[in-house]
Amino acid sequence: MDIPALDVVLRWTHIVAGIVWMGHNYSNVVHRPTFEAMAPGQSAEATGALVMAALSREHAVFRYASIVSWLSGMLMLWQRGFLVDALTLTGYHAVIGMGAWIGTAMMLNVWLVLWPHQKKVLGFVAATSEERGRCARVTFLSSRTNTMLSVPLLFFMAASQHGLSLFG
Amino acid sequence: MRTPLDSVAGTLLSGFLLTGLLFAIVRALMAR
Repeated sequence: MDIPALDVVLRWTHIVAGIVWMGHNYSNVVHRPTFEAMAPGQSAEATGALVMAALSREHAVFRYASIVSWLSGMLMLWQRGFLVDALTLTGYHAVIGMGAWIGTAMMLNVWLVLWPHQKKVLGFVAATSEERGRCARVTFLSSRTNTMLSVPLLFFMAASQHGLSLFG
Repeated sequence: MRTPLDSVAGTLLSGFLLTGLLFAIVRALMAR
């Protein structure tokens, strides 16, 4: 059975589910790199410091992974010789080009919208509770925007290799 | 103000609708 649309939908589902699954796993690796038994007498300050260190590490991995992901994608297009055609949405390179533009918007969203506000929400930068409340709403919407954008991004990634026939 | 992004279903539905819209745009671009 060879149905192009089914192939793309299955591939899209495969990638999204794989990211949800392993994304949680990687997140756990960053959050708890090694097993640490619970210390019953640990002070609140010590626990707080550990939590802040973990938060800081997690957010840094998250942010820099967005740059590595974006840059490796752009380099992939460049070394294949169709970076310009992709970014100018020319011919069948328009499919991966659309993915590249969505990915660029997502990476910029992390660095220019989410991170400046998230710093205040997480307490890395001092802010009033009112300001933190406002920033929490902005980071929430910024984060959910990227969740939403990942759906078409992953579709175009999958379709650029396995679904060109869908585009006529 | 509540937005579609305030629920998981709304977020995913927005993603699918956007996919359809962008798909139509890329398809039209390729048909030129």
